[in-house]
Amino acid sequence: MKHSFLDKYSDKDSLIHRLDPRTKLVAALVFIALVVLLPHASWLTYSLYFTVVAALIIISRVPVTYIFLRSLVIVPFVLMVALFIPFFKEGVEAFSFNIFSWHLSVTYEGLETLGSVMAKAWLSILFLIVLTSTTTFSNILKALESLKIPRVLVMIMSFMYRYIFVLTDEVMRMKQARDSRNFGSGGKRLWQIKTVGNMIGTLFIRSYERGERVYASMVARGFDGHSRTLDRLCFKPADVYFVIALGTSLTLITLLNLLY
Amino acid sequence: MHIPDGFLSTATVATTYVISAGGIGNAVRLANKNLGEKHIPMMGILAAFIFAAQMLNFPVAGGTSGHFLGAALVAILLGPWAAVLIMAVVLTGQCFIFQDGGILALGANIFNMGIVGGFSAYYIYKGLSAVLGDSNRSKLISGFAASWASVLLASIACAIELAVSGTSPLSVALPAMAGVHAIIGVGEGLITVAVVSLVMATRSDLLKLQRI
Repeated sequence: MKHSFLDKYSDKDSLIHRLDPRTKLVAALVFIALVVLLPHASWLTYSLYFTVVAALIIISRVPVTYIFLRSLVIVPFVLMVALFIPFFKEGVEAFSFNIFSWHLSVTYEGLETLGSVMAKAWLSILFLIVLTSTTTFSNILKALESLKIPRVLVMIMSFMYRYIFVLTDEVMRMKQARDSRNFGSGGKRLWQIKTVGNMIGTLFIRSYERGERVYASMVARGFDGHSRTLDRLCFKPADVYFVIALGTSLTLITLLNLLY
Repeated sequence: MHIPDGFLSTATVATTYVISAGGIGNAVRLANKNLGEKHIPMMGILAAFIFAAQMLNFPVAGGTSGHFLGAALVAILLGPWAAVLIMAVVLTGQCFIFQDGGILALGANIFNMGIVGGFSAYYIYKGLSAVLGDSNRSKLISGFAASWASVLLASIACAIELAVSGTSPLSVALPAMAGVHAIIGVGEGLITVAVVSLVMATRSDLLKLQRI
């Protein structure tokens, strides 16, 4: 039960941490939607949006290096799309190269698409990281529920969250047992895959049996498909100020973008 | 294959959200009908199982490692709608816990890995094992083919979404994505086979669960 990689820093305290999770979730959705709607190559607007996220990161007091490293999760996808860029044929050629008899040219249009997509993806993920590292997962679930996500789905997600820790502990134990039997340092690849497959199979059987036991004990305690919780979400004056501040800056940026 | 925000156009985001929301709605309805309130803890724990299973890495080639994806296994053992429901929950968790995949791209990710992945795996498995007969061997062969194809088809759906959004041309994105995932799919297929054969040997009753 020491898996701090799950919602790290969400237990700290700052102005952003204290906001109502609903405020933060809606703010994230609005921000990301605005960023995604922007046309390609609006570099000035991108940098203004970046200032907004940067301000939020500073106020939230989550370490900047942590947020930066987390945001690198999009890199593999960006690289894969970047590989396609040389094949954009339309547009003005920026530079070209030959691989054997294969003529590849990189156009300005291609580079512009890549740059814009990268900027948008990065801005979106930064805001998402601010949201998730200042809000605990259970509060995000409460926010999702008040945004009319079906209750059953939220309950399933809260069960998932609860049992991630238990099953991760189980996997760690299995991994330790496997590695202490020399898994990493030899054996054919097919044998290694078979070992992992057997571990996952064992984990599946144990998870399924656990699910049956959990359900039986829930029924024994009167579970009827509903959960009753003390809902303690409240919209405070701080949320109003936050909404006004963020709303004003986003509106100004949008207006500026429309004017130029 | 988790698409981040910013790669998809508004029209693609809206379309995939509508399809995925409809799919999840139907999955919840069917799970409720067939399993009653039992599906709530069961689906939650199996989603946590997918999370935990994805932590087991295995070496692939040249220092890289791969991990299990899971949609095909869940579809084979529990049925396509269960796969949609479980993968939707897993992907939402990955989005909010690891920022793996964006919020607005969540609809597309659920569509690719849950709906396309789950349904293709289930029907290929069902079709092939009907053709090959009811032996354990035919179940394993169908399991391999179903998992391989489900990874491949999910990646093709992803390439099409990127092309429709104007991010990358289909003529390049499609072969590149399909090529990479045809290799990843082999690992997924082998693991699914190992899992199914273990379940067959130890708890073969779990292979005959009611599928939804």
